[in-house]
Amino acid sequence: MNAVTDAAPEDMNLLSDHDFRLVVRRFIEANYPAEIRNPPKRLHWSENKPWYMTLSRQGWLAPGWPREHGGMALSPLKQIIMIEEMERYGAARTNDMGIVMIGPLLLKYGTPEQKATFLPAIIAGEHVWCQGYSEPNAGSDLASLRTEAVLEGDTYVVNGQKTWTTLGSDANWIFLLVRTDKAVKKQEGISFLLVPMDSPGITVRPIVNLDLHDEFCEVFFDNVRVPASNLVGEPNKGWTMAKALLGFERIHLGSPKQSAHALQRLAQLAERMGVSEEPQFQDRFTRLRMDLEDLKALYETYVERLRRGEGLPPSVSMLKVIQSELYQKITDALLDVAAENAGLLEPMEGNRDLHPSGIFIAARPSTIYGGSNEIQRNIIAKNVLDLPG
Amino acid sequence: MSQQLAEDDRAESIRMIRDSAAAIAPPGGDLKRVRALRFKTPGFDPAVWAEMGALGWTGLRVPEELGGSGLGMGEFCALAEALGAGLAPEPLVPCMLSAMLLSAAATHPTTLIGSGEAGEALAAMLTGEAMVLTAWQERANTLEAPGTPGAARLFLPMAGGATHFLVPVREAAGLALYIQPAAGADLTLEATQDGGSFGTLRPAGGVKILDQCAAVLEQALGEAALGTAATLLGVMDRAFAITLDYLKTRTQFGRPIGAFQSLQHRAADLAMEVALTRASVEAAAASLDAAAPNRGAAIARAKARASDSAMLVTRQAIQLHGGIGYTDEHDIGLYLRRAMVLASLFGGAALHRRAFMTLAPESGDE
Ligand SMILES: Cc1cc2nc3c(=O)[nH]c(=O)nc-3n(C[C@H](O)[C@H](O)[C@H](O)COP(=O)(O)OP(=O)(O)OC[C@H]3O[C@@H](n4cnc5c(N)ncnc54)[C@H](O)[C@@H]3O)c2cc1C
Repeated sequence: MNAVTDAAPEDMNLLSDHDFRLVVRRFIEANYPAEIRNPPKRLHWSENKPWYMTLSRQGWLAPGWPREHGGMALSPLKQIIMIEEMERYGAARTNDMGIVMIGPLLLKYGTPEQKATFLPAIIAGEHVWCQGYSEPNAGSDLASLRTEAVLEGDTYVVNGQKTWTTLGSDANWIFLLVRTDKAVKKQEGISFLLVPMDSPGITVRPIVNLDLHDEFCEVFFDNVRVPASNLVGEPNKGWTMAKALLGFERIHLGSPKQSAHALQRLAQLAERMGVSEEPQFQDRFTRLRMDLEDLKALYETYVERLRRGEGLPPSVSMLKVIQSELYQKITDALLDVAAENAGLLEPMEGNRDLHPSGIFIAARPSTIYGGSNEIQRNIIAKNVLDLPG
Repeated sequence: MSQQLAEDDRAESIRMIRDSAAAIAPPGGDLKRVRALRFKTPGFDPAVWAEMGALGWTGLRVPEELGGSGLGMGEFCALAEALGAGLAPEPLVPCMLSAMLLSAAATHPTTLIGSGEAGEALAAMLTGEAMVLTAWQERANTLEAPGTPGAARLFLPMAGGATHFLVPVREAAGLALYIQPAAGADLTLEATQDGGSFGTLRPAGGVKILDQCAAVLEQALGEAALGTAATLLGVMDRAFAITLDYLKTRTQFGRPIGAFQSLQHRAADLAMEVALTRASVEAAAASLDAAAPNRGAAIARAKARASDSAMLVTRQAIQLHGGIGYTDEHDIGLYLRRAMVLASLFGGAALHRRAFMTLAPESGDE
């Protein structure tokens, strides 16, 4: 076996999977801030920034990005190992929209100037991004969005409203889908625009969610002026690019992370409730574990395609559906095992690991956001299975 | 009186109960009152509790000679359903359980030192002055009350507003029942998802009001399970109605989302869950009122169904509302939160399935 050192080698892909796992594990154990281990709710930037910056300094912030832009260019399997180790330790999700969404989009469609401006700022933690797609009347039917950007000289003037903007109050940049042509078919008049959140005319109103947490926001735009150089790709090609990004989002949402986390909590809760040895519980738990292993296997096939530089096929929707529904099935089991404790607002016995109602509620939106599961099933039926209608 | 007449009378009294419930939980009414009481102690409104006493609700099941209305489970379930639909936080079901025990104590032939206290507490609850909770539960996921002396009693709903606790205690002669004032009691509260709380009581002192309470307690726990099932029926029925309305009014892709066949099928599935729950709850109430030998199994079936279906319906209600369903501003989430608390109270679905298995061991027994 190779000697495992704490210093990360230049190319972590050269390590055996086992050694890689140990390197990651040791790093997390040595550096992860104890006070934000297994947080009950999604953390705000002020809370997760130290860990984000630690990963940044280590060069581990963007496992999937190419090395020349500060990424790790990790193999799919190693990306999964990394996820598993983060989960195992209870490392929180950071404000990662820059890394998982806008970064990959710019890598594909950005100008060299845009890449040079934005990618290093994401890695440095200077730009914190949020996603401005949904509007009050454009959710599943995103293409009907009405927030408008009108070109005046070399400036776009933006008016309208976005909503459900996750961690919008933390972000200093927002990527928007805006209407730039009202005369054409709705999908063909949409552009992709990058907007600083401190632009005059932007108002942010936090919304309290079902978890009683101010995690998402409404964002209002009143004559907000944005340089035309902040448009990504060509004008009116925003929809195509957003669709490509949705592929990235779906693979991200299809990551076994949430389910793996919930399953660990289920094991702990069953132990605490004294039902771990009951045959009914064991059958249910084993079924969920096997579901998770199957999901991981399917997930790897998509990550592998990405690594080979292939596009993601529409069937990536399956991953999102399977993951989110498994996650919710696990949280159903959490409530059942918790019995009366399922009604408690706070973690049981002050132990964050024992918070069945919290995880259950946190799992609700996974079947709504990123394209609801109903919409994903429509896509599978039409675009994968070619069913008529 | 002919059977038909008796049945008509019954239907009329149930209708009247539903109408009077509208005073406190108006159908389609807003939930401002409910929201204002959330996450504060005691979590319900003592003035409304007094009103419920005045309306005769706290004594609905108490015999007339003790000052109650002596009505059946059919009436009680109709009331619980209406209050469930309005998400009324007042602890009517757990207090009905206590009222049954107090009634037994007040009419017990052998006079114990505490039977006076029992009568007083009962009278005070009938006017809504008192709120008496029964501290029977010593662990999660059980319907058994072992009465371990000194053991902490758990999951006492809205305990912050209790005036007395009834505590079953195992003694040489059997399971005795003590009454203890809430003032000065060792009680801790934990908030629940629906804005109420669960109390943990370390019982101490009190006076004995019954030598033997095991049989009454078992029966009262069954009725509380059924009352909770009826409450869940109200919760899911209203959540479904709100969702159905949303399917008709929310537009995406140029049509109401209820025009999409997958959502039509979903709505049809949920309607079937509500229908099954209603049938099961009403059948159980009827079998209780008829003192049918299989009533225990009927109750188990109703609570198992109500717990599972209420969770399914309220979960789907969130899903079908999309993003707005995941906000605290929208009322639909309040129904999910209430279901999360009630689904396991007085036994969750799995526990009641096990109970059913024992009570109706062979198909046809039920
Ligand atoms: C926690 C959370 C975080 C979010 N974060 C962001 C963010 O950061 N940025 C952002 O832009 N957006 C975000 N969203 C918004 C999210 O993308 C939308 O909620 C989602 O697209 C659904 O849109 P909607 O809420 O308008 O629901 P609707 O589209 O109104 O859907 C309501 C219901 O109808 C169903 N439905 C709709 N159309 C059909 C159809 N054709 N066939 C069958 N069923 C259908 C839906 O599946 C859903 O069940 C977030 C949402 C949540 C819940």
